[in-house]
Amino acid sequence: MRLTSGFARALAIGVAAALVVLALDSVISAVMAQNPFGGPRPGAEPQIGGIVGWLLSKQSEFYREMSSTIRAAKSDGSAVWTLLVISFAYGIFHAAGPGHGKAVISSYLVANQETARRGIVLSFASALMQSLAAVLIVGICALLLNATAKTMCGAERLIEIVSYALIAAFGARLVWTKGGGFVRALQAPQPLPALALAAAAPHDHAGHGHDHHHHEHSHSHGHVAHRGHEHGHDDHEHDHAHDHVHDEHCGHSHGPAPIELAGPGGWRRGFGAIFAVGVRPCSGAILVLVFALAQGMFWAGITATFVMGLGTAITVATIAVIAVSAKDLARRLSAGSEGGGALIMRGVEFGAAGLVLLFGVGLLFGYIAAERVTCL
Amino acid sequence: MNIAMRRLLGLLLLAGSWALGAGAAQAHPHVWITATSELIYAPDGSITGVRHAWTFDDMFSTYALQGLETKTKGVYSREELAPLAQTNVESLKEFAFFTFAKADGKKEKFQEPVDYFLEYKDAALTLHFTLPLKAPVKPKELALEVFDPSYFIDFQLDDKTPIKLVGAPASCQLKIQRPNDGTATAQKLSEQNFLSGDNSNYGAMFANKITVDCP
Repeated sequence: MRLTSGFARALAIGVAAALVVLALDSVISAVMAQNPFGGPRPGAEPQIGGIVGWLLSKQSEFYREMSSTIRAAKSDGSAVWTLLVISFAYGIFHAAGPGHGKAVISSYLVANQETARRGIVLSFASALMQSLAAVLIVGICALLLNATAKTMCGAERLIEIVSYALIAAFGARLVWTKGGGFVRALQAPQPLPALALAAAAPHDHAGHGHDHHHHEHSHSHGHVAHRGHEHGHDDHEHDHAHDHVHDEHCGHSHGPAPIELAGPGGWRRGFGAIFAVGVRPCSGAILVLVFALAQGMFWAGITATFVMGLGTAITVATIAVIAVSAKDLARRLSAGSEGGGALIMRGVEFGAAGLVLLFGVGLLFGYIAAERVTCL
Repeated sequence: MNIAMRRLLGLLLLAGSWALGAGAAQAHPHVWITATSELIYAPDGSITGVRHAWTFDDMFSTYALQGLETKTKGVYSREELAPLAQTNVESLKEFAFFTFAKADGKKEKFQEPVDYFLEYKDAALTLHFTLPLKAPVKPKELALEVFDPSYFIDFQLDDKTPIKLVGAPASCQLKIQRPNDGTATAQKLSEQNFLSGDNSNYGAMFANKITVDCP
């Protein structure tokens, strides 16, 4: 029973994941064709640079000014302020440009029914973690051990692999739990679902209850009773009646109360996300820190790194809040439609969970190119 | 499903795809290189290889010199820099030395680099190395591009001596396209190709293209 249901579930999740990816792909190309960034396409002649080009040129400018400013700060104390302003601006622009960190965090927030407030906290925590990682790497490798650039880049590479593997593992876990919710939502409207999928349901439920502490909170009695049934009975109809009600409730929920957010499981999971993303430092920060150290201005480099992180956090938090609000809006809208609403929301969550997994796997195997580590 | 919701889902997916596309095209430079390149000709007028002199920006130069012990502080001899030069050329191999040559439209391959060394001057490191072609070519048109496809490194051809033809037949004409002088159409960086997520050729928009016509 356990084996078959596990396999059936893996199969169902795999098929659903493939469908989500295909649907996503076609929707993206359809939407992009007419409406990039939600605004009307400007003219026939594409602007040289555009928003992205402007962002690129700006952050390059700020970044290049950093080395001369650190040099200047050696003799002129006021240059430190300039350095902080540049670092802050660079952080904001750097994060507004490409980067997998905010993509992973936003996807996680959407997948996991998180609040905007929590999105902001996670964004700042991951940026802080990233800054800390950079300072620790340079502090240990360069300052304490006086290691060469080659050794340092080796360490960076190792950390990079660990980070991507963690993102992939984190994504896999999200897909597993969200896949259960999605499969249940799929079955919910059907009175007699396929046997294979039905067999998977009791296991899903246990996993689900475990993962959504706020659901557990409100439904704890039902879940405990239900789990008791799981081993002895094959009473599928009972399962489904229960699941249906459960999903309806999700569709109408008003988001978790603050007290529920503070639950131990919730924050621990959030920490998993920020650790997976934040453990890999930004190559730019490493370069700035090593440069500052060589100039005898390590403290200025550290300050610049944390200010850079602050700028990054602001941008990431903004994107995270947009993602969470968009999903909230979707939930409110879909709550109005009968039955299908829960299915759509579970589908969105499942899709977002799938994105986290895709990022992790893609980064790990080099399908998605992330910022390179500085190994030359 | 009503229209508002459909639109919203589209927006959600767009946001996701932006994030994904952004993840795919991680692109802004952290290292700047000012390049001077020489095309080396054999007496019979065929091209045998490319000789590069790449000067790194001061931030990267400092980073590369981290942890390097020298006899005199702040002075780095060619011998002291030899292990670093070795590391450099070994690492560059992974990126095909950022050097892409086409002889009459056909891609040419390079051998392992020779005569490589580093030089430290004015707080900047310059890497010298020669890339011999697998086999000498004598094309009507040779196209040489120097760029990093993922745009982690920004290549600028030197202002004064961007490229030299060493021993080339007198009839050969040299043309240079820089990424920032408006001649390269490739620099048109639109959201569309940024979002395509295809990182493989992103840096080509910032490529330096050199063409030599020898009729």
